[in-house]
Amino acid sequence: MAAQRCGQEAHLALPGLEKVTQFEGAGSKDHVPGQLTSLLLAPCSYFLYYMIVFFQSLISGILIGGVYALIGIGLTIIFGVMRVINFAHGDILMIGMYMTYFLFTVFHIDPFVSIVITIPLMFLFGAFLQKVFINRALNALPQNQILLTIGMGLVMSNTVMLAFTSDYKILTTTYSSSSVEILGISVSEPLVVSFAITVAITAALYWFLYKTDMGQAIRATAQDREAAQLMGINVKRMSIIAFGIGSALAGTAGALISPTYYIFPQVGSVFTLKAFVITVLGGMGSIVGATLGGVLIGVAESVGGVYIGSGWKDVIVFILFLLVLLFKPSGLLGTSKD
Amino acid sequence: MNMKSLTANIRGIATLPLLLTVAAIILLFLLPKFVTSTYALHIMILIFISVIMGSAWNILGGYTGQYSVGHAAYFGVGAYTTMILLQYRHIAPWYGVWAGVAVAVATGLVIGSICFRLRGPYFVLASIAVAEIFRVSALNLPGLTNGAEGILITEVPPFKIGNAVITDFMSKVPFYYIGLVIAIAVILATRLVQNSKLGYYFQAIREDQDAAHSLGINLTLYKNAALAISAIFTSLAGSLYGLYVGFIDPGTVLDLGLSVQIVMTCIIGGIGTVLGPMVGAVVLVPFSEALRSNMIAQALIDSGLVKEDSPIGTFLKEQLSHAHVLIYGILLVVVILFMPDGILGFIKKLLASKRKETA
Repeated sequence: MAAQRCGQEAHLALPGLEKVTQFEGAGSKDHVPGQLTSLLLAPCSYFLYYMIVFFQSLISGILIGGVYALIGIGLTIIFGVMRVINFAHGDILMIGMYMTYFLFTVFHIDPFVSIVITIPLMFLFGAFLQKVFINRALNALPQNQILLTIGMGLVMSNTVMLAFTSDYKILTTTYSSSSVEILGISVSEPLVVSFAITVAITAALYWFLYKTDMGQAIRATAQDREAAQLMGINVKRMSIIAFGIGSALAGTAGALISPTYYIFPQVGSVFTLKAFVITVLGGMGSIVGATLGGVLIGVAESVGGVYIGSGWKDVIVFILFLLVLLFKPSGLLGTSKD
Repeated sequence: MNMKSLTANIRGIATLPLLLTVAAIILLFLLPKFVTSTYALHIMILIFISVIMGSAWNILGGYTGQYSVGHAAYFGVGAYTTMILLQYRHIAPWYGVWAGVAVAVATGLVIGSICFRLRGPYFVLASIAVAEIFRVSALNLPGLTNGAEGILITEVPPFKIGNAVITDFMSKVPFYYIGLVIAIAVILATRLVQNSKLGYYFQAIREDQDAAHSLGINLTLYKNAALAISAIFTSLAGSLYGLYVGFIDPGTVLDLGLSVQIVMTCIIGGIGTVLGPMVGAVVLVPFSEALRSNMIAQALIDSGLVKEDSPIGTFLKEQLSHAHVLIYGILLVVVILFMPDGILGFIKKLLASKRKETA
C-alpha cells in the first residue's frame, strides 16, 4: 500500500521538480508566485524523487532476486542431498544461457518459451554430471569435492569458449529494453516476466518437494542419508535427481536472464559466487532460506548499487556474506546440522 | 628453530637425496651460463614463481589443512604494493618488496583472525569472498591502483651496492636468480616447518582440529602463523611476477583463476609434501606454456599426425592456444577422481603395489 501511494504522489511531484530547475535556470522575476510555490514544493518533491529512486531500486531488486532465488535453491538442493558444494553452478547457468541464445537465434524460440526445452535438457545434463563425476567423489574430502567442481566448471566455460569464442553475445528481443509501470514505478519488462515465471517454478518446486513421494524422499535424503537409505530410499537415484533439478534450476535462471545480460563463457563465476552467498545467507540446505536469501541479495545489490555505486555492489554482497558467515554461520533460517 | 635441531634435520636427510639436492641446486645456479635461450629462461622463471606460490600455499593448505582458495589476495597485495611504490613513489623494488610482504602479512592476519573461525567449506567460501573483495576494490580505486588499466612499470632501477652496479635488470638472468633463491628459501622453509614443533602443531590442526585444541594448541594463533609464513612467500612471488612481467592488473594478479592455479600446483603434485609443489609446477608450467604458444598444435602438424590444411589442423592451430585453462580443468578433475594424493602419491602407491607383488 505504501509503495502504491508514494508512486502516485511521486508522479504528481515530478513536474514540480522540473519546475524548480527551470526557474533556477531562468531566474525570471515574472514568476515570483510560481517560484514561491516551487520553493515550498522543492524539499517535498526532492523527498518524493528519492522515494521513487528508492522504490524503483527496491522493486527491481526483488524482481532480480526472484532469479537469484532459483539459482540459490538449485545450489541448496544439491548441497542438502549430497553435501557437495557445487562450484560449477554458475557455469551450468552459463550453459543454460547459451542454450537459450541458440534456441533464439537459430530456431527463433522466445527465451521465456524456450525454458520448456531448457529445463529437461539441463536436468539430463545435471544427472549426467552427477552420475559420471560427482558420484565418484561423494566420500572424498569436502575440499577435494570443491576442487573437483571447480575443475568441472573450468572445463565447461573453456569448452564453450573454444566452441563459440569469448565474444560477448547479446540476445535482443523486442521487449529487451522496454519497461512496464507497476504502481507508477517503471521496471524492466523482461524482469517482470522472468519474476512471474520464477514464482511459478518455485511454487511448483515447493509442491514437488513437500507434496509428492519423490520430493519427500529427496528431503529425507537431505536430512539423513543413512537413515533414508535404511528406510528403503534409493539415495543414489535421489542424488542424481537432485543434481538434475539443481542444474535445471540454474539453467532456467540462465534462460530467464539471457534477455538482459551479456552472454559470454566466463559469466558463470559471478553467479557461482552469488549462489553461495544466497545459500549461506539463507542457511545451507534450507530451501525457504535460499528463496529469502535470493530476494535479499537482489535487493542489497540493487539498492546498494544505487546509493554506493554500481562498481561496489559485489563488495557489498561479499561483505554481507562474510558477516553472515561470522555471526550466524547457520544462515538466517538454517539450523546447523554439522 | 635452533641450530641443534637444524643440524639434526640435515643429518635426518639421507645422504643420497642430500647429494642429489645439492647437485640440482648447483646445476640450477650454473644453468644461465650454458643456456642462453631467453625462452628457456622465461619458462624457468615461471616455474620458480609457480613453485614459490605452490609451496607457500602448501604450508597453509597442505600442512595446516586450511584450504584457502583466495591466495591471489596475498599475491596481488604484494605485487600491487611493490609496483605502486616503484611507479608512483619511485621507491626501488628491493625495498618495496618488503613493504609488500609487510602489507600482505598484515592483511593476512586481519583476514585470518576473521576467517579462521570458519571450517571446511565455509572457510573456502570465505577465502574466495575476501579475494574477490580485493579484486573488486582494486578495480574501483583507480586513484590507488589505476583501476582496470593496471600498472605498467616503465623501468626497474639498477641494483647497486655502493656505486657498483650489481645488475641493471635488462636481461632475464637476474630474475632467474632471484626466483631461484626465493624458491630455495620457500622449500627450505617448508622442510623446516615440516620437522619443527611449529610444523607438528600445524599438522595436528590438519588432522583433527578439535583434538589439537583439546591438547592445548591455540588454533587461531597457529593457523595465523601458517598463514603469515604463507603470505610472505606468496607476496614475494607476486612482487617478482609484477617486476618480471612489468605489468599487473586486477584481472591477472587478483583473479580467482590465479587462486585456483595456486591450489592446483599443489594438488597435482601432491599436497602436504615438500616435493609436491615442485612436481606440480614442473608439470603444469611447461605444459600450459606449450599450449599457449601453440607448440603442441605445431608439433602435431609437424609429426604428420594432423594435416595443416585439414579442418582439424586449422582448428587446432587457431584454438589450442586458448585451451590451456581447459586442460587445467581436465587435469584437476582427473587428479581429484583418480589420484587424490597427486602425482607423487600416485607414484608412491604404484611403487608400493609393485613391491608387494615382488615380495
